[in-house]
Amino acid sequence: MSAITTLNPKAESARQAQALAINISAARGLAEMLKTNLGPKGTMKMLVSGAGDIKITKDGNTLLHEMQVQHPTAALIARAATAQDDITGDGTTSIVLLIGELLKQADLYIAEGLHPRIVSEGFELAKKEALQILDKCKIPITTDRETLVQIARTSLRTKLSTENADILTDIVVDAILALYEQGKPVDLNMVEIMEMQHRTEADSRLVRGIVLDHGGRHPSMPKALKNAFILTCNVSLEYEKTEVNAGFFYKNAEERDRLVASERKFIDDRVQKIVELKRKVCSGADKDKSFVVINQKGVDPFSLDVLAKDGILALRRAKRRNMERITLACGGEAMNSVENLTKDCLGFAEDVYEHVLGEEKFTFIEGCKNPKSVTVLLKGSTKYILNQLKDALRDGLRSVTNALEDGCVVPGGGAYEIVAHQALTQYKEQVKGRARLGVQAFAEALLIIPKAIAQNAGHDQQETIVKLQHEYATSKTPVGIDIATGEAMEPKSLGILDNYRVKKQLIHSSTSIATNLILVDEILRAGLSSLRPGGQ
Amino acid sequence: MALRVPKAPGFASMMKEGSKYMHGLDEAVYRNIGACKELSETTTSSFGPNGLNKMVINHIEKLFVTNDAASILREIDVVHPAAKILMLASDMQEKEIGDGTNYVILFGAKLLENAESLLRMGLSPSEIIDGFNLALKKTSELLPTFEIKMNLTKENLRDNQVIVSKVLQTAIGSKLFGYHEFLGDLVTKACLAVTGSDASSSFNVDNVRICKILGGGLLQSTVVPGMVLKREIESEITKTNQARIAVFSCPIDIQVTETKGTVLLKSADELLAFSKDEEASIESQIKSLAEAGINVIVSGGKVGEMALHFLNKYKIMAVRLLSKFDLRRVAKTIDAVVLPKLRTPTHDEMGACDSIYIDEIGETQVVIFKHAKSHISTLVLRGSTDQILDDCERAIDDAVNNFKALTRDPMLLPGGGATEIELASKLSEYARTCPGIEQYAIQRYAETFEFIPKILAENSGVKSTEILAKLYVGHHDNPNLGFVIGPTQSGTTESDATQSNDVTYDTGDVKVHELYDLFITKKWAILFATKAACTVLSVDEIICAKPAGGPKPKENKGWDNDD
Repeated sequence: MSAITTLNPKAESARQAQALAINISAARGLAEMLKTNLGPKGTMKMLVSGAGDIKITKDGNTLLHEMQVQHPTAALIARAATAQDDITGDGTTSIVLLIGELLKQADLYIAEGLHPRIVSEGFELAKKEALQILDKCKIPITTDRETLVQIARTSLRTKLSTENADILTDIVVDAILALYEQGKPVDLNMVEIMEMQHRTEADSRLVRGIVLDHGGRHPSMPKALKNAFILTCNVSLEYEKTEVNAGFFYKNAEERDRLVASERKFIDDRVQKIVELKRKVCSGADKDKSFVVINQKGVDPFSLDVLAKDGILALRRAKRRNMERITLACGGEAMNSVENLTKDCLGFAEDVYEHVLGEEKFTFIEGCKNPKSVTVLLKGSTKYILNQLKDALRDGLRSVTNALEDGCVVPGGGAYEIVAHQALTQYKEQVKGRARLGVQAFAEALLIIPKAIAQNAGHDQQETIVKLQHEYATSKTPVGIDIATGEAMEPKSLGILDNYRVKKQLIHSSTSIATNLILVDEILRAGLSSLRPGGQ
Repeated sequence: MALRVPKAPGFASMMKEGSKYMHGLDEAVYRNIGACKELSETTTSSFGPNGLNKMVINHIEKLFVTNDAASILREIDVVHPAAKILMLASDMQEKEIGDGTNYVILFGAKLLENAESLLRMGLSPSEIIDGFNLALKKTSELLPTFEIKMNLTKENLRDNQVIVSKVLQTAIGSKLFGYHEFLGDLVTKACLAVTGSDASSSFNVDNVRICKILGGGLLQSTVVPGMVLKREIESEITKTNQARIAVFSCPIDIQVTETKGTVLLKSADELLAFSKDEEASIESQIKSLAEAGINVIVSGGKVGEMALHFLNKYKIMAVRLLSKFDLRRVAKTIDAVVLPKLRTPTHDEMGACDSIYIDEIGETQVVIFKHAKSHISTLVLRGSTDQILDDCERAIDDAVNNFKALTRDPMLLPGGGATEIELASKLSEYARTCPGIEQYAIQRYAETFEFIPKILAENSGVKSTEILAKLYVGHHDNPNLGFVIGPTQSGTTESDATQSNDVTYDTGDVKVHELYDLFITKKWAILFATKAACTVLSVDEIICAKPAGGPKPKENKGWDNDD
């Protein structure tokens, strides 16, 4: 009986060996579950939400989120994976696997009577060493397209089927290259992701410009424009009620008509200013150019009517984030008032057109000069395919930016793990005392990554590992698994490159979570069971 | 999250209560395949011209009698995740083409069924998927080679009315056999009327309207160039020829301010003056309309009593429409601009119409906008019950969508299962040339195609094996041999005795019988079905959350539409 039950008879608890067993079994269970997802040959999992929506994914983070894990230890690990995703955007499955394996290895020694504290000391030592090894494995990169394609491909192939991954690879790299400026961080918010449920994945593409998910609001507005000036503004073009309570007093129809007119005048004047600007810029040499207004606020039917008459395409209620993107993509400024409008405030795009899909309208603004904001247009026949693409795309974009920011990558395909295992086994000899066993456990645990990749690709885990270790020992260059054959290959020459920061974060957080978990000797829960009888 | 100190080890204990977790071949894959199979069994019997109808009562107790797979599936509310994937594929087909939904379900389910036997043989799902994808690639290469050359192009559809009508008849024939010739012609007429003659203008499905009026028989249905609306006319005048029309989206009444207005009167005289003023202002408004030559007003809002009085006085007809979409369509029919405010339209903003009149069809009053140069045409459908009319509407929808597909890609394929048999034999040949294990999957993929003529035959009550054998033999000499329903014609088949008008079921040259399928429909249907089948196969684990109670989360579709 734990002390807490005396204090609170409804509390639940688990102590010492039992607590450790719970933690270890949870971590291993979760790892076992996600193991099949790792690597390019990992399988998909189907998630059915409470509302009956289907999601098919192998992204570790998505899975952990949607699985509704209730186990406290598992929830802790899931949070670590989420943190991994927030920081690096990749490596979520790996972190779960690594934590599970670290605990499994630790369990072997703890079962033999080794104190958890000693194991954790060994883990800490091993972690430091592993990070140093990681630094030695670094491969500096240049920002040429070829390298970036390799990085993006490595990341995407672990999320999608090969064909889909290859489609997205080019999109991702081109998107990043459009945004990238030497010495400046890449703002991924400037990549708009637009989904269209239409045709197949192969029709996805990069739009050098912006795609908005709404269209012109007036039937007689133009549907397609060439060489358009673009005015982005945040000016209300619809009648808005006054803040104070106001009323009109009139006594004959004429007076009322005047009131009706004056009420509109305020808005009409604004619209008139825009129309004047249009007339000014679309005259003379620019006579055949056209004009588009994109407004963050509303545009009412009367204003639309006036604009439509002048052949202006007006889009209303654009999303705030798009206002910024539009000016980055086609130039110009986002205007907050219609006073002092000049030609300099306008952006320019070669093609503006509307695309209608059933009830949904999309407006494409394309052909911008040197756009600093682009749109990835994802197409897919069903919602779950689109979701899958979207999750993968985000990870792909992150991995390329990570690589650009790090300025280096590490060899993928399990190569780093093989190298680290070998180095740690050597390092073990220098460690005095029982902490050495912790280092040993850590080194063994690292091998789970190449093992899982091999197993998912249908190869024998042990055989592959032995082959790789042998190959590494003889050639002294990092080697990874060739998933097609199960033989050793050189990741660098084949272009299988992982992010440096993903691995770094992975080693950091998995070690600290694993250490935390093995050091837990009691799990308590304050008894709230009285609220729901049966403790459920 | 309410965390609990767990008791039992294992993964299941980690999940929230009520969730399900299935994994592995037995638990997930076979079960999924089973579910898809059952789904297809429901729709198998309604495939083809002799398919049977289903009676479906949906969750709000509405009755449907139909053999349209898309509607059946929509109304029975499929929840099984794998079956849902197949359903989503068929949904997509509906959106992409608008026809061939049952084809997707049947083909997808049959593929899975064939995959199951391969799985039991010991192949892994990924090998089957690879094989299916290879077969799909080969199929898309093969399909265009079966084309029946008709020299149809987007431009000359109008000159080839007979062929177009035959294509649409095949589509309608699979839903409403017997009426297909009549309706096919009708739909062709309606569609061609609204197709622009130049290639650039695209055909919009929305431009062919359907007006269902109870009573009479299907054969009394007609096509009207223009709009037919189940409305009444507000004004006294009920018929106008050579109409000049103003369309308003606002009510026809005195103008009001957005801000609340109050009439401030100080004496009885002012009250009298005010009413007079009011009348005068409306009268001047309407008078100016009349002077501009307008004799019909179409309004999206109320027509005020006072305004109505003056409209009658100036002999202007007033039609009030409740739906904003109808208003837009009418504006399109007559080439007018919808005015947001009551004012006199300019010459360009006015619409013109040959005649607008009120008519009684059966006992339903309708307003007819008849305009020879209209961009919209309406099919007035007659039928004895609501169910027949609804079913007819769905068949016509499919046909109109087929027409749209035709304007996009006028390539035709032999119908009646001829394409499928040809594909089946060509693909089997291809399978034999493949060295790896994927040849089994390709072989099965080929066999799946047999299924289509087989169901066609079975649903007509003919021995399917016999027909299949005949088709295979016949395909050596004639790749256009298919399963044909109707009086057999000599030359292609051996039986000369059946030259009567009896309906016979046999193989025949579909080119002679003029049974055409659209290339684009088949292409997408096969693509979607294969993709769906591969998705179902690739899933080896399913995690279901506890079904949530309460209403479904609202989808934020068309958020910018204010109608």
